[in-house]
Amino acid sequence: MLTLQLLANGLALGAAYALCALGFVLVLNATGAVNFTQGDMVMAGGFAAIATAAMLAPLWPGAVPGLVVLPVVTAGMAVLGVIFSLFAYFPLKSRPPVATIISTIALGIVFQNAANAIWGPEPRAAPPLLDASLVRFGELAIPKQSLAVIVVAAALIAGQHLLFSRTPLGRKMRATAQDRTMAAAIGIDVNAMIALTFALATALAGAAGALLSNTFFVTPSDGTNYIVKAYIAVTIGGWGSIAGAVAGALLIALFEVIFPALPLIVPALFGSDALGWLFSQTAASILLYAVVLAILFFRPQGLFGELVQRRA
Amino acid sequence: MSTPILRLDGLSASYGQIAALHEATIEVRADEAVALLGANGAGKSTTMKTIMGLLKPVAGRIEFDGRDLSGVATFRRARLGIAYCPEGRRVFPGMTVRENLEVASNTDGAGTHRRVAALFEMFPVLAQREKALGWQLSGGQQQMLAIGRALMSAPRLLLLDEPSLGLSPLLTNEVLDRVRAIVGGGTAILLAEQNVGKALAVCHRAYVLQVGRVVRQGAAAELARSDDIRAAFLGA
Repeated sequence: MLTLQLLANGLALGAAYALCALGFVLVLNATGAVNFTQGDMVMAGGFAAIATAAMLAPLWPGAVPGLVVLPVVTAGMAVLGVIFSLFAYFPLKSRPPVATIISTIALGIVFQNAANAIWGPEPRAAPPLLDASLVRFGELAIPKQSLAVIVVAAALIAGQHLLFSRTPLGRKMRATAQDRTMAAAIGIDVNAMIALTFALATALAGAAGALLSNTFFVTPSDGTNYIVKAYIAVTIGGWGSIAGAVAGALLIALFEVIFPALPLIVPALFGSDALGWLFSQTAASILLYAVVLAILFFRPQGLFGELVQRRA
Repeated sequence: MSTPILRLDGLSASYGQIAALHEATIEVRADEAVALLGANGAGKSTTMKTIMGLLKPVAGRIEFDGRDLSGVATFRRARLGIAYCPEGRRVFPGMTVRENLEVASNTDGAGTHRRVAALFEMFPVLAQREKALGWQLSGGQQQMLAIGRALMSAPRLLLLDEPSLGLSPLLTNEVLDRVRAIVGGGTAILLAEQNVGKALAVCHRAYVLQVGRVVRQGAAAELARSDDIRAAFLGA
């Protein structure tokens, strides 16, 4: 029973990580540069959800549900993504990718300090998507928020997949990500596609922030944690692989939730308190980074790396 | 004889300090295939890239259908009706054959479907490999896909850069044999090609480039008979 509850929590956390990692890899493919602000966009989404709930409160009888807040936050974050690209990417697009990487780090610091100035350093929580109750399946009780997060994140990821695989716009965005020069040569407005990619990536990060900030709260410095998780997810899943980023994010979250709880799940194996230190959050983090190093060493293309090649 | 659809007037281009094209004046009419001949480094690909807006000219003028292309972005040149099939093919490696074609279409769903069907008829091997990813195709198949992708916008001018590069003589013939059919379909062609004999056989006129300068021009049949061209390019 405990395992299933942990699994639900891990999937909810992983689904939100996946949204962040997905946006990270979309921008990486479209621009060739790492967007280090992606984690701060998750943080911004969390605070945007809190601010939006406060703004809508006078118009809404009772507590504003997160499900109403989420579309507003996602749309607003998409606009922020386009504005962000106008400052962080387009002025530097003809420079080496490292210039964009540095500009995203700089703007991330601006975002963190702006959030600190506006909301302060204390943790805050956005409203739950529906409510804070539990859903019971026999003896199993799972927070409705966790289930809602899984469903909403899965819908957003499926929506992104459908956009890219079934629509002309999505195909143009993929073509831009694969070869910007040839995309332009067949009539695609590459700058528009890249701006749209930033919009989509930032919207997904904002949605992740709105989904996470109820259960895990939000503080101005949270972005660093999320960008590290996104980076690890993309490394595990395969640099540039969209499906790999989602799978990597789920694996990280399940590991973070389940590993520290192993003594509770299988007490017979880990009955001794002497091993308690091994299953702390700190040890889990150390082990996670060690696994990433091992993957980089033994399988640099990641666990699900795309074997895309060019023939001569 | 029709009016020129493309006119290069004293066009010069360079890569940094290295000049690659000197005051080239070239015309392509709407109903013809024109060959650009020359050895490696003669300026053929530079001419193509400059026409497409991928390289900024340092002097001269490019006119397409009477319109000056100065300052016109690459994607807008494509939308005006210029298609580019580059050296090295550059198909989208992670997209299927059908997706590579569909993404280049500039018409609605039904029109796109019709154009894909027409291209599958022109290149039957693409129909057989419809669901294969770009990187999974052989060099010849990629070349056919690159040409097919360029034709998906029903362009008025096709810039075809070294289509025979890396292909066997048999596949080269298969690809270049399509040139006259494409022109017959209403698309003029500017063909950069090192296979001079074949290029002169399928094109109406030709320009010969040497170290970035146009040194000879004329009807393809005339040039094919010319002693100096035969000696320089055809090993005769």
